Amino acid sequence: MVNTYKGHDMVVTANVDKIYPNNCHALKKVTTNIKRGEVVVIIGPSGSGKSTFLRTLNQLETITDGDIIVDGVNMYDDRTNINKLRENVGMVFQSFNLFPHLTVKENVMLAPLKVSKLPKSEVDAEAQTLLKRVGLAEKMDVYPAQLSGGQQQRVAIARALAMKPDMMLFDEPTSALDPEMVGEVLDVMKSLAAEGMTMIVVTHEMGFANEVADRVLFMEDGSLLVDDIPENIFGTVANHPRLQKFLSNIL
Amino acid sequence: MKEQPHRLKWHILFVITIFALAAAVYSASQTINYNWQWHRVLPYIVDTSPVDIIAQGDGSASINNSSLTITYDNGEPDRVISNADTLLVSDGDIIFEGDLLARQESVRMGVLIEGLLTTLEISVISLFFSLFIGLVAALMRISNNPFSKNLSLLYVEVIRGTPLLVQIFIVYFFLGTVFDLERFTAGIVALSVFTGAYVAEILRSGIQSISPGQMEAARSLGMTYPKAMMYVILPQAFKRTLPPMASQLINLIKDSSLVSVISITDLTKAGREVVSGSFATFEVWFTVAALYLLLTSTLSWAIQRIEKRLANNG
Ligand SMILES: Nc1ncnc2c1ncn2[C@@H]1O[C@H](COP(=O)(O)OP(=O)(O)OP(=O)(O)O)[C@@H](O)[C@H]1O
Ligand SMILES: [Mg+2]
Repeated sequence: MVNTYKGHDMVVTANVDKIYPNNCHALKKVTTNIKRGEVVVIIGPSGSGKSTFLRTLNQLETITDGDIIVDGVNMYDDRTNINKLRENVGMVFQSFNLFPHLTVKENVMLAPLKVSKLPKSEVDAEAQTLLKRVGLAEKMDVYPAQLSGGQQQRVAIARALAMKPDMMLFDEPTSALDPEMVGEVLDVMKSLAAEGMTMIVVTHEMGFANEVADRVLFMEDGSLLVDDIPENIFGTVANHPRLQKFLSNIL
Repeated sequence: MKEQPHRLKWHILFVITIFALAAAVYSASQTINYNWQWHRVLPYIVDTSPVDIIAQGDGSASINNSSLTITYDNGEPDRVISNADTLLVSDGDIIFEGDLLARQESVRMGVLIEGLLTTLEISVISLFFSLFIGLVAALMRISNNPFSKNLSLLYVEVIRGTPLLVQIFIVYFFLGTVFDLERFTAGIVALSVFTGAYVAEILRSGIQSISPGQMEAARSLGMTYPKAMMYVILPQAFKRTLPPMASQLINLIKDSSLVSVISITDLTKAGREVVSGSFATFEVWFTVAALYLLLTSTLSWAIQRIEKRLANNG
């Protein structure tokens, strides 16, 4: 049993198994590691366990077996404070999940105020900077319901960034968006990647994967089948029959 | 605007119906030769009867500039009455204990208004306790811990499955005796525990109607479960549960009339007392009903205001 991992890898998973209470075997011996600053894209057919895997990395799902080490901390060690760990891991959801009763700026400010307990003036200034950065300086005081999907997702990214995380998880961040809004969200993600943020992205945007990813993971039926650089995944070389089939269906 | 004349017709019909109903009530009372005397209710709303000032011992009276001084024989300090409206003794009179000395005009709350205030007091205190109890029970109910879950379930089932009147008797005669509770406290305990069970169910369904993604988003930001509840889930749940909560709190006001059975002089008990003193049975009960309506409609107006304010966002 590894308790703490003294490396510089951001995430290490070893033989992770997840069986849901309904006996659905969603993850089978998933083993990988993700370096600091790496951008990893996870692809695979529906139901292959992509979301489940992503959600185990901040313990929105617990695992049945195996080990997960995030930033050197074993997630299932009794001494691990999962809330502290989550502060360091931002997450962006397919359905945005903005807090509808708070304004855009309040959404961004809530966690720094209530979790980090930073002074309000500092949090406010930081929220303004973040919202400017995602191009929503004009929308600070409106409620999420008054925003388009693309704008909401950019607020959600700003909200996650407000905790100054070392790693960001994205679960199909553009899948709920109208096609014309996909670009604005991907642009924000690209700029994050360019700044060196560690990112794990579940997406069907193969263009983004090809352009931004350092590595692409292909999952099927709960197993991690392929783990390779985008050139080899999207290249013409037929390296894996199941991946070939998936890509030919999607492209 | 084609609809307008049509709607007016229905409004007119409505007014006619109300008048017809009033006439029906009146003629029904005529058939039993009921003599309407609304003025008899008035003293129980605003009490203008003069206050009698009575001698507390034997002595003698002296009047000086319309100020009455009683010198007691037993050496007690003199009593000076300077603000009386009518003096009923003259200078130099010998006074005996119990004599009527003077009358003073006064305007006081009538018995019915005192009852109304008691009802209001019981309702407001019970409202806060029932919201607190309901919130705790709702949070226990949705927790993963079987102990708190079952405890909350049992509470809600027992309270919702038994009549409030029986609960009031149990609290008053059993708990009241064991813990030496005053009747007023006993009434508040019974009402709060009763309403709390319904509030718990309303809040539970409100909390469960919030999409699980809200909790996940809050937790993914590092919030603890209590913080996520407090800042993310509950504010949304409260807003959603306002309409059923309003009707439950209006029920609380109406249910409070049952505490009159343990001799708390609330509005209903005051009504019963006034009926036996005034012989204006119908008028008194109509008045009591109107006073309850005043309380409940004020509350529902207040909650509508809150709802409107919250509707502006989100
Ligand atoms: N809460 C749950 N309870 C039970 N089974 C679940 C639960 N969530 C997911 N599953 C099952 O686990 C498997 C993996 O689901 P998961 O959502 O991780 O797939 P995915 O790759 O993200 O799919 P998609 O592309 O459709 O989002 C599926 O078979 C799914 O039915
Ligand atoms: Mg998914």
